[in-house]
Amino acid sequence: MRATSFAKYLMGSPARSAKIGQTPHSIIHRENKATLRYFAPVNATQVPVFICMPLINTWTIFDLLPGRSIVGALLAEGAPVYLLDWGRPGPEDKDVRAVELIDGLLPRAMDRALRHATREHAATELDAVGYCVGGTFLAASLARHPHLARRVAFVATPIDFKASGRLAIWADEATFPLDDVVDGFGNFPAALMKSSFAWLRPTGQVAKFKGLWDRFEDEDFKVLWAAMERWSSDNIDFPGECYREYVRACYFNNALMDGSWVLGNEATDLSKCTIPALVLAATGDHIVPPASASALAQVWGGHVETQVIKGGHVGISIGKHLPKALVAWIASGAESADMRAQA
Amino acid sequence: MPTTPENPFADFDRVSSELYGQWERGMTSWWDQVLDNPAFLGTMGNNLSAAARARQSYETAVDESLEKAHLPTRADLVRVARIATLLEEKLLTVEDQLLATRDKLEAVEKQALLARIEAAETRLELLAKLTEMDAKLDVMTTKKPAARKSRAKKDS
Repeated sequence: MRATSFAKYLMGSPARSAKIGQTPHSIIHRENKATLRYFAPVNATQVPVFICMPLINTWTIFDLLPGRSIVGALLAEGAPVYLLDWGRPGPEDKDVRAVELIDGLLPRAMDRALRHATREHAATELDAVGYCVGGTFLAASLARHPHLARRVAFVATPIDFKASGRLAIWADEATFPLDDVVDGFGNFPAALMKSSFAWLRPTGQVAKFKGLWDRFEDEDFKVLWAAMERWSSDNIDFPGECYREYVRACYFNNALMDGSWVLGNEATDLSKCTIPALVLAATGDHIVPPASASALAQVWGGHVETQVIKGGHVGISIGKHLPKALVAWIASGAESADMRAQA
Repeated sequence: MPTTPENPFADFDRVSSELYGQWERGMTSWWDQVLDNPAFLGTMGNNLSAAARARQSYETAVDESLEKAHLPTRADLVRVARIATLLEEKLLTVEDQLLATRDKLEAVEKQALLARIEAAETRLELLAKLTEMDAKLDVMTTKKPAARKSRAKKDS
């Protein structure tokens, strides 16, 4: 009986009807395929937050479902939220270089966010949050444009790529044909990315269905499972040239650790950024292990606080610990602003 | 959980759960050996490389046949779209410069306004001083007639 309803449920393609990313917002800036999304709080009482999402997934993981939304938690705390969604690159974006994103698109989006926040909320500064590879790009951008944010939080962000577990083994110059892949496919295909992540934990796909089977009577869990399915089946191509530079610099040469990632004509030295940083790593993260994320403390120019919270690479975004940690960070920012104002 | 009349499959659930656990552990350890093996990774890399080259050859062939038919190729469309993107980038750079100029103008305007306020405040201060001096003078002039009187007496 249970098996029948289980099969029936799966055959109904629950992921297709799942509604994700439902928090109302407006788009305040566009560049190529990227959009800057603005989420307005009911009462703005905190410094605005700029979120830099990864390039390889949709932004909706930070706003998956009501009650399981990082954006929602920040809004409830009174922080206006600006979220950079990189969009879906087309074949015409295969020649987009990393420097165009790190020195161009990202700082410009932060600038437009700050201008909007100044107009709407009389804000003078932004707090920045980067997730996964979005955090890596944000770190590089802040190292080159440190004035863009007051503080920064990096969520599951790889910095020491040699500590990236199985991904570091796979992304080895000797076995991974980077140039052939980029020359042949143009953009790095989303399907390839998705299957690579799936193969990082080969039994993960079965475990996913086992988890659903175990909690099949739990309606809330089924809603969450379907939403996660919808999100995880929607990967995005990585712009080809940018991918070539990123993998060569970060995975092959671990260039963020020694400041040797040259973008344009300038090296990216993370020690040049002296704003305070918070590193949020996940205990069970098999994509960005805590060692890879917490290595930021070795190279960042400012004070670095590291917190290792319970969850996996994706799981932390929909769990309770990450919103809690980010909300506490936001609140601590308001305190420090008050203290500065009193001083 | 023991088997009860209400749940006759409790044992089955437990056993299947244990079996699954064993299967998962076994598979994980086997796959770990395979997926971290340089020989396997090398083969996978070669396959990926071949797939990428095949894709490139296919697209080149499609483009060549379209070109022979005097039709726009995929590469042509990509080039046009890239030009549009670069144009947008240029427009945004101009927008950046306009915003920076506006910022500068606003700063100058703010400075000018501050200077005007400062000048007005200085004038007000001077006005206040003048009023004060006027008042003092008034006091002095109200006292002076007595002196004048005495001088008048002397004159007479």
